[in-house]
Amino acid sequence: MSDAAPERGSVRSLRDTDWSHLVSLLRDRRRGLSIGVALGLAWTLGKIAVPLLTQSAIDHSINGDGSVLAWSAAIAAAGVVTGSFTAARRHIAFRESRMVETLMRERIHDHVLGLHPAYHDHAQTGQLMSRMSADLNQVQMFVVMIPLTLSHVALILGVAVTLVVLDPWLAIVALAPLPFVNVTAKRFSNAIHPAVLAVQSEQAQLSAVVEESIAGVRVVKGFGAERVRMEALSTEADDIQKVSLRAAVIRARFLPLMELLPALGLIGVLGIGGLRVLDGAMTVGELVAFNFFVTLLVWPLRSIGMTVAFAQRAAAALERVHEVLSVDPAIVDPQHPQRLPAGASVGAVAFRSVRFGYGDGDAAVLDGFDLNIAAGESVALVGATGSGKSTIARLLLRFYDPEAGAIEIDGIDLRDLRVDDVRRAVGIVFEETLLFNDSVAANIAFASPSVDPDADRDAIVVAASLAGADDFIRSLPAGYDTVLGERGYSLSGGQRQRIAIARAVLADPRVLILDDATSAVDPSKEHEIRSALSTVMDGRTTIVIAHRPGTIAMADRVALIDGGQVADAGTHDELLARSARYREVLAALVPSNDVVVGGDR
Amino acid sequence: MWGGAGVDANDRLDRAEAAKVLARAARLARGQRRTAGAAVGFVAMATATALVGPLFVRHGIDQGIRLNNRSALITAVGGYLFVAALGYLGSRRQYVLVNRAGEGFLRELRLRLFAHIQRQSLGFFDRNKAGVLVARMTADIESMSELVQWGLLQFVSAGILITAALAVLMVLSWQLTLVALAVLPIVVIASIRFQRSSNDAYLEVRERVGNNLSTIQEHLAGIRVIQASARTDEQRRRFKASNRALFDAHMTTVRVSTWYFGVVELAGVLATALAVLAGGWLVDRGSVSVGTVVAVVLLLASLFEPVQQLSQLYNTLQSATASLRKMFDILDTAPEIDEHHGSVDLPSTGALVVDNVQFSYPGSVQPALSDASLVIAAGERIALVGPTGAGKSTLAKLVARLYDPDEGSISMGGIDLRNATLASLRQRIVVVPQEGFLFNGTIADNLRLASPQSSDDDLLSALDRIGVRRHFTDLPDGLATEVRERGSRLSAGERQLVSLARAALVDPAILVLDEATSNLDPGTEAEVEAALERLMAGRTVVVVAHRLSTVRRADRIVVCDGGRLVEVGTHDELSALPGGRYAALAAAWESSRPTAPPLLGG
Ligand SMILES: Nc1ncnc2c1ncn2[C@@H]1O[C@H](COP(=O)(O)OP(=O)(O)OP(=O)(O)O)[C@@H](O)[C@H]1O
Ligand SMILES: Nc1ncnc2c1ncn2[C@@H]1O[C@H](COP(=O)(O)OP(=O)(O)OP(=O)(O)O)[C@@H](O)[C@H]1O
Ligand SMILES: [Mg+2]
Repeated sequence: MSDAAPERGSVRSLRDTDWSHLVSLLRDRRRGLSIGVALGLAWTLGKIAVPLLTQSAIDHSINGDGSVLAWSAAIAAAGVVTGSFTAARRHIAFRESRMVETLMRERIHDHVLGLHPAYHDHAQTGQLMSRMSADLNQVQMFVVMIPLTLSHVALILGVAVTLVVLDPWLAIVALAPLPFVNVTAKRFSNAIHPAVLAVQSEQAQLSAVVEESIAGVRVVKGFGAERVRMEALSTEADDIQKVSLRAAVIRARFLPLMELLPALGLIGVLGIGGLRVLDGAMTVGELVAFNFFVTLLVWPLRSIGMTVAFAQRAAAALERVHEVLSVDPAIVDPQHPQRLPAGASVGAVAFRSVRFGYGDGDAAVLDGFDLNIAAGESVALVGATGSGKSTIARLLLRFYDPEAGAIEIDGIDLRDLRVDDVRRAVGIVFEETLLFNDSVAANIAFASPSVDPDADRDAIVVAASLAGADDFIRSLPAGYDTVLGERGYSLSGGQRQRIAIARAVLADPRVLILDDATSAVDPSKEHEIRSALSTVMDGRTTIVIAHRPGTIAMADRVALIDGGQVADAGTHDELLARSARYREVLAALVPSNDVVVGGDR
Repeated sequence: MWGGAGVDANDRLDRAEAAKVLARAARLARGQRRTAGAAVGFVAMATATALVGPLFVRHGIDQGIRLNNRSALITAVGGYLFVAALGYLGSRRQYVLVNRAGEGFLRELRLRLFAHIQRQSLGFFDRNKAGVLVARMTADIESMSELVQWGLLQFVSAGILITAALAVLMVLSWQLTLVALAVLPIVVIASIRFQRSSNDAYLEVRERVGNNLSTIQEHLAGIRVIQASARTDEQRRRFKASNRALFDAHMTTVRVSTWYFGVVELAGVLATALAVLAGGWLVDRGSVSVGTVVAVVLLLASLFEPVQQLSQLYNTLQSATASLRKMFDILDTAPEIDEHHGSVDLPSTGALVVDNVQFSYPGSVQPALSDASLVIAAGERIALVGPTGAGKSTLAKLVARLYDPDEGSISMGGIDLRNATLASLRQRIVVVPQEGFLFNGTIADNLRLASPQSSDDDLLSALDRIGVRRHFTDLPDGLATEVRERGSRLSAGERQLVSLARAALVDPAILVLDEATSNLDPGTEAEVEAALERLMAGRTVVVVAHRLSTVRRADRIVVCDGGRLVEVGTHDELSALPGGRYAALAAAWESSRPTAPPLLGG
């Protein structure tokens, strides 16, 4: 391989781009598109007919035979026809291109929504948003030009044939620049591709900076970090400007050339054709007619230049879209899914020698992790920060698959179950509460597909009461119909958390995971919620991840997580008695409690 | 008929307002005046050459070929070549200049808009969806790039072409010209009607682009909850609805512009028909020659070509005006929290005085805080306790001036926070929010959030101060570890640690902690608290506490309930209060405490 090889590999052109996603959509829309092409062709023919009609009108009628009215009417009629064709052509071209854009956006959205969490750990929200807006915009702008461009190509072919028939030699002169246009277009496309790719990637980076700065506005304000974010943004804005200028310079090098070349043909025809007329090999009339046809070529050729430029942007955009669409979901349904057994005593969980790490050279978080939880049992996971407690919860939800070992619910490996079945069987209250821009009732019913937020109000109220949320919900402006602000910010931290608990309670899962679920709930209420939760936990397999001794004590059994394994397991008292590490992890609370105890005495 | 659904009346853009929007945009673009001027010059040059080129053809045919004059033909060919080369050069230059002016304008717009959004207080972000704001900063601005890239160019060249064509037409035959221009009213009426219906339609598009993006943003931010709830199919259905709504809005604009372009095209041909008709009559009467009629008809074609271009441009302009209008709406929202003229720096230390404060969140029925008064001495540590929704976080946010009180005042060292410079405010008072939100970048980048100039040593010593250095230096890449999207590389506790270290780095006089340590396991928390202890020495601290240990370390405790500060005092004082709220709370805490471990008790 030569030295240039890697470079050529990175500079991709139109031909190397994967157009398959677009092509398959275009195929779906082929009816509309072909109508568009037909209309475009009809319109172009109309455009040619008008001057021809006018010419005949002048030739035949103005000389006084009285038919001028008829001819004018014919021209006006042609106007009505071209006017309608313009309208129809535009309508169809835009409808189809917007539809392609819309469908493609749905495809990306639906695909991304089904991608495994490990993908989302890396993917920036703002970047993905940019794929679904700016990039698709480029695709739309290209697709809208397809019908017209195809009819232009037809026109060019038609004119070329006419020219050859009229005068083969002059036709060669007139058409000589075409191959050069073609070559220039290709070189242009190679040169501009990386530049356009860079512009779009910078735009996406800017979008990511904006998205983050707004999503994290509480931190920005709390630390007065506006300046830092502004700098990040202006870097991106400058980058956009820089790469876009680079693209403009490339455009300036090629596009004017592509406009100049057809004109050279025209000049050639004038010069050589003129000489031929002078030599008597051609009549003036023939030359004028010939010239007229050559002029017809100018606009279509120009617009093909534009189309190449647009196709280039679309190619760059599609490449980025393709990057997203070509990620295969890592967590998928098995071919022959099994069903979870029904029965009274369900919800047994088993981790068998599980090894798991987040990848790319990160050390394994869990290694040789074994844990059996009987149906209906509740277990508290205790461990230092970063010991992997939340990771265990994520594995049980099948957000990730273990590298080795197996995880089972009721004796069935998670990988043999449908993904949705796993997630219906396992309910979780996350460390960080996320509410959706919807009513309180809909937020509570979020994980319960069978509960209609409006119709099944009673069930929702019961769940909310169990989570200690009913009181404050009733005092909201519209009670259960109050629409929560984006991400539920207009509630206090504790209120949000209770809604999340109500959500899990209503979902009635086999296995309930509470990941630090009562951290933002005040102690007086926590007591209440805890007793409510114990109703919910009664007879249900529950995994509690908690830092407060009181919450730990709710569980039948405690598992101490350390070094990626269950270092010890037993009741709270047993562990206190025999595990030094457990005491170490818990130790922190003891001195201050002593003070309290001392103070009380 | 084409009025967009969903755009309410005061959101409409009438012509006067649209003109104002554009004038304002032009003012924003002032910095690009010279580049734009030069660009116009080159566009004019390229256009002029395009006009002149065909004249050489005519000259070549009439003077050269018809008169059998070889040298005239060669002059024509040479002239045409020269002009074409000139046009080529002009258009090369014009691409670069137009881009420079246009992108310069867009950059200016991005910076202004973002700076303004960042100046807004939290209330603004409660009201506006993140996705919509992102749309304003990205999709809306990008939707204008077409206008700034081609608009100026088209406007100038179309203007020149129309003027030139009209001038020649009038010279050739003013009668024929006037007859042909009888179609002008059609174009004008169509343009006015188009303007009216397209305004609404384009505003509607911008609106739905924003909504659609915010649906996407919500789905991406909530992806884990959605997947954990097995809701992907339902959320896909919802997205489809919002996406199709956007498609419908686009189609409204397509329908509106479709008939408009049809009418403009029809008008062009009608003008030709009229000219032929009148021409026939005038030729009969002998007042014009056939040649003149031919010339007029040809010129009419070149007159209506640019007219159609202008109508395209008009369409683009309408869409851009809608985008601009949405952006100016944001730029016109005065930040609620702002620095006014004559603001002073906060002193480096001083008592924090909350005086009779009342505050309600916009749109909520009851005040979140009322009649709140409290004097916090410099260096004092205050713990806020109380049930959920009592107003603890609200008080903390007011103290840091994330919101301004509706009534009463909050001051530090005798200076009302509203009279303080924002820079000194953020330097003296730092809030560690509930969530340890991390930005894409390394851990070091995240630590530097509030003090970009800190050196690596500063970072390490800040981490040392809170005793968590090893948590981060032990990572394979140390402080250079990429935290990934929202810090997903780190555990929740580690994210909190980063958040605390940020505060340590700023070295503020007043520290506001809102449940910052709630996600730490007791072991780590002890470490952090010990370090914070050192860090907090000599600093005023307001902490929203959910933990007895935190409360016990406070100098005084403030009990909130129902938006009021119901009890204030030391632990002992409040515990002794008969029937007191704090006494009840402490009792609840006690009961949730595990039995004292025997081994450590001894
Ligand atoms: N998405 C991720 N990608 C890479 N590493 C991760 C990811 N999530 C967690 N980790 C790492 O895995 C380890 C375990 O994290 P986990 O969230 O399970 O801890 P935890 O025990 O729940 O901690 P905490 O008590 O702070 O919530 C941590 O060291 C963390 O840095
Ligand atoms: N941004 C907001 N917009 C409207 N209402 C809000 C907003 N933030 C909080 N509230 C309301 O104001 C009241 C006080 O909320 P605040 O966050 O101060 O409570 P808190 O005492 O901190 O509770 P917690 O212990 O749960 O964090 C609550 O009723 C809450 O619903
Ligand atoms: Mg709070």
